[in-house]
Amino acid sequence: MSGYFIAVGTIGGIYALLALGLNLQYGYTGLINFGVVALYAIGAYTSALLSMHGMPFAAAMASGALLAAACAWPLGVICLRLRDDYLAIVTLAFAEIVRTVIISEDWLTAGPRGLPGIPRPFASMAPDDAGVAYLCLVAAAVACAMAVTAGLVRSPFGRLIRAIRDDEDAVRSIGKSPARSKLVVFMIGAGMTGFAGALYAHYLTYISPDQFVPLLTFYVWIAVIMGGAGRIGGALAGAALLTVFLEGSRFLRDALPFIPEVQMASLRLAMIGLALILFTIYRPEGLLGRPAR
Amino acid sequence: MDGVALLNLAVTGLVQGLLIGLAALAVSLCFAIARFPNAATGDFMTLGAYAGVAVQGWTGSLLTGAAAGVAVVAAVSLASYGLVFRHFRGRSLVAPLIASIGLAFLLRSVLTFLVGFDQQSFRVPVARALVFGGVRIRPMDLWLMAFSVATLAVVLAVLFLTPVGRRMRAVADNPELARASGIRSRPVMITLWTLIGVCSAVGGVMLGLRTVVVPEMGWNILLPAFAAAVLGGVGNPAGAVLAGIGLGLAEALSTPLVGFTYQSSIAFVVLILTLVLRPQGLLGRAEAVR
Repeated sequence: MSGYFIAVGTIGGIYALLALGLNLQYGYTGLINFGVVALYAIGAYTSALLSMHGMPFAAAMASGALLAAACAWPLGVICLRLRDDYLAIVTLAFAEIVRTVIISEDWLTAGPRGLPGIPRPFASMAPDDAGVAYLCLVAAAVACAMAVTAGLVRSPFGRLIRAIRDDEDAVRSIGKSPARSKLVVFMIGAGMTGFAGALYAHYLTYISPDQFVPLLTFYVWIAVIMGGAGRIGGALAGAALLTVFLEGSRFLRDALPFIPEVQMASLRLAMIGLALILFTIYRPEGLLGRPAR
Repeated sequence: MDGVALLNLAVTGLVQGLLIGLAALAVSLCFAIARFPNAATGDFMTLGAYAGVAVQGWTGSLLTGAAAGVAVVAAVSLASYGLVFRHFRGRSLVAPLIASIGLAFLLRSVLTFLVGFDQQSFRVPVARALVFGGVRIRPMDLWLMAFSVATLAVVLAVLFLTPVGRRMRAVADNPELARASGIRSRPVMITLWTLIGVCSAVGGVMLGLRTVVVPEMGWNILLPAFAAAVLGGVGNPAGAVLAGIGLGLAEALSTPLVGFTYQSSIAFVVLILTLVLRPQGLLGRAEAVR
């Protein structure tokens, strides 16, 4: 039984890391990143492939994070001097392209078959201990991301990015370049997302394109929105709520066995959609945020 | 690659382009007048196709099915305005954009809950392709071209030749000035969302007739539609249509070079190039973009 909670905790921690990355981009800086799943996939596949070719875990995972951040750079350079919604459209398109590349370039990614046999850290330990150790690894990553976010936000740079979120023209009028600061934040957030992908790949030991669907991006978005954008606690709370929802729907299926699994999938999608609509209309500041109006 | 094969690809590209043009028109109208990119456009199209298939199944008539699709999506589009998008007046565009994603998921999930994930298709009368000197055109493609051109013409006529269209363009141009001049937003918005519904429905039925009807069909065409709307120019619906046709032709004609899987990446490349070289698109205004 405790093995189940450790597993749920590990996945929840990965969602928390994803939410922290998006929170940095959207909550603090106002960047509309609809390509979360693409950066996640880049981190996952990079780390998996590198470690399967012999690179040690730490280097492979770091490479996953770095490549994700590097991919964010051209997207940011192109879009961040334009209106907010252009980044949204381009990142959405980017996510489609990344998925197409993963599926088609099977000499690299094994295509739709996926990559089995990804090495897992702590393999020399007993299975239960290894599970706890991985949970600690994820928790450490989350703590790091929280520290980075908090440090960034409390610094003068943090005041600058919040000013950018609230009024870009005012920022420009005092001679600062919003685009450059937005790019830095976008890349840092992308690095967190990529690292989350690496953690996911090594945890599951098998990844395939099916796991990186656009819906995942919006799981992370609803977590950030529900918890409250612009607050570290909000990102964590939102990720916890999301994990409860996703696991809870599994239990609901057991309680209501007459509903087939495909319909549960539809129900889950409907609830995510409804949550997105209702929160943006009635509680845009999220559950933990302060009402802005 | 010989001329006849090229012409065949061009015919395919033209039909595909008109389809993208319809979707791009729906996106561009919303972009221009309601001022946000509507990510639910794709799922409006999917809904139109499903409604069309269902009604064709009950009545046996394709035309009735298509008309039903149009009616259903126009109604859903208006309901979306009344229940969801109306609340975002005066707020930043992030909120309606995210709400439109939620709406897209909601529509798709209701469809799959009721009908499942299996693919469905319209019943199309089997007809021999017409051949003009080696160039093959299916009669259905000719009908689709005619209907899409007619729909585009009607929508653009409403936009450019009617009083309410003039008011819509005024709101698109300068909402504060429009309101100060006494233009009431409700008739404008009702017309807008009806037109969006009509375009999406016709596009969806068209897409369903050319391929099959699956839950993801509309979402898959969202990216080319957005790329065409951006290429055509922010706030320029006519430009979006032209860009859509161009994009369809480009996708078809590039197939021998990039292969079938990467066809959709043409839209991405077009999007990136547009934003790098000329962000306001071919026919848009620069100040609307920054």
